[in-house]
Amino acid sequence: MRNWVGFGTIVRREFKRTMMTINQVVWPPIITTLLFLFIFGVGLGSSVRLMNGVPYVQFLLPGLVMLNVIASSYDEAASSLFQQRFQLSIQELLIAPLSDLELLLGYLTGSILRGIVIGALIMAIGFLVVHVAPLNGLILFGFMFATSLLFSSLGMIGALLAKTFDNLAIVTTFFITPLTYVGGVFSSLHALPPLVQRVSLFNPILYMIDGLRFGYIGRSDVSPLIDAAVVVTLATAAFTISLLMVHRGVNLRV
Amino acid sequence: MISAAATREHGRADSAGPASALQISHLVKRYGSFTAVDDLSFAVAPGEFFGFLGPNGAGKTTTINAIVGLARFQSGTISVFGADVERDYRRARSLIGLSPQDFNFDRYLTAEEILTYQAGYYGITPARAKARVEQLLEQFELSDKRGLTYLQLSGGYKRRLALARALVHSPNVLILDEPTAGLDVELRLELWDFLRRINSEGMTVVLTSHYLEEVELLCSRIGIINHGRLVALEEKHALIARHGQSSLQDVFLELVGRKHES
Repeated sequence: MRNWVGFGTIVRREFKRTMMTINQVVWPPIITTLLFLFIFGVGLGSSVRLMNGVPYVQFLLPGLVMLNVIASSYDEAASSLFQQRFQLSIQELLIAPLSDLELLLGYLTGSILRGIVIGALIMAIGFLVVHVAPLNGLILFGFMFATSLLFSSLGMIGALLAKTFDNLAIVTTFFITPLTYVGGVFSSLHALPPLVQRVSLFNPILYMIDGLRFGYIGRSDVSPLIDAAVVVTLATAAFTISLLMVHRGVNLRV
Repeated sequence: MISAAATREHGRADSAGPASALQISHLVKRYGSFTAVDDLSFAVAPGEFFGFLGPNGAGKTTTINAIVGLARFQSGTISVFGADVERDYRRARSLIGLSPQDFNFDRYLTAEEILTYQAGYYGITPARAKARVEQLLEQFELSDKRGLTYLQLSGGYKRRLALARALVHSPNVLILDEPTAGLDVELRLELWDFLRRINSEGMTVVLTSHYLEEVELLCSRIGIINHGRLVALEEKHALIARHGQSSLQDVFLELVGRKHES
């Protein structure tokens, strides 16, 4: 890392991009979270009572935070890089004295920031609306960061491989969204039938939500150490693959 | 009129440095089984106005892409004032300014933002970039268009913006890939005047163009590429005289063997 100004410029541009599309990327997760809290937390939650020994709304909130962290991180990296590729403006970066690492970290930092800021906004809403505050900020931040890194890196990989905007939607529609929704956002692993429990253990997003929930309310279905090991391993792998792809210039340098 | 007065912040490369502003040696670029550039070698001297010609698909843009880092190549070397474009890419890229054939602007940024961000990518701090961007906006008569996005600019102003962006980090070598495509006569003449002036101040210019009269007027030395291979490399007048032709266009048609494509 030598061109810090160049790296910072990419991050600034990514932030500007987020602010330019605030109605698409900031307000929707906030409104959706409020709706989820209202319907599941206040409405249905009154009949569920306790989940993992805590009021349902407390159980639900960490899942909603992670759901939005994942969606925001992936979307920012994927749509931003693909848009730059699509309109050729990525060439501005490719001819500049930026290393592959600086270029990649610029995009990743921008999308990790968006993921964490959105996550923080959801937590603030949780605190204000249903009075749920996080128990351990460090653990919570660690899981948010590692998960954001994972999905930002996946977004980069997706944007490098995609040929159309529609390709990017395939990943979100058929993989990220279903795996997130069945990954323990709305219910504990222990509330599921035994077979489904065993199958769910192959869902990596379950460990991310579980780990964040441990940092939030001190309860988890799986050991937090296993959660951390899964998230860190996957994040490291995705980051390495995205760096190798940028280094090889996949769909960047002909 | 486009002013050349403030185009460059720092002087040209040290005259005691390497002899060539641009040195290409045995460059080979293949796309699968197709060889786009085949053992290409030539050099451009500091301060030279060099015309790089060839018919469509000859390998001009591929060569330019290899110089600026947009294309990887299989073998050969390219250096800019002695800086290898692969091993010493930071220095090499800092010395080059590119005005590409196709507009490649971020459609959501304004003219001012495009220049400011581009300066940042080259390591120019926001404080220094501000002064430089103001200078370029004024120089290219873009001051009152600073708030417009690329899509809101006319063709002429898009070309001005592309040139301003290429100069934002004060390069020593300016590569222009079809810089006058789509410009009206008045703006083309204005651009020619500007290019001559910055060249006279020491800027090395590499120009590709399909307007051969433009190349003949501006360039002192010409390289012609066909099917990825160099077929001519000579001082302009010597080239025309040696082929017994009256214009560069006739020489070009003789060498590339196509009557209706330039």
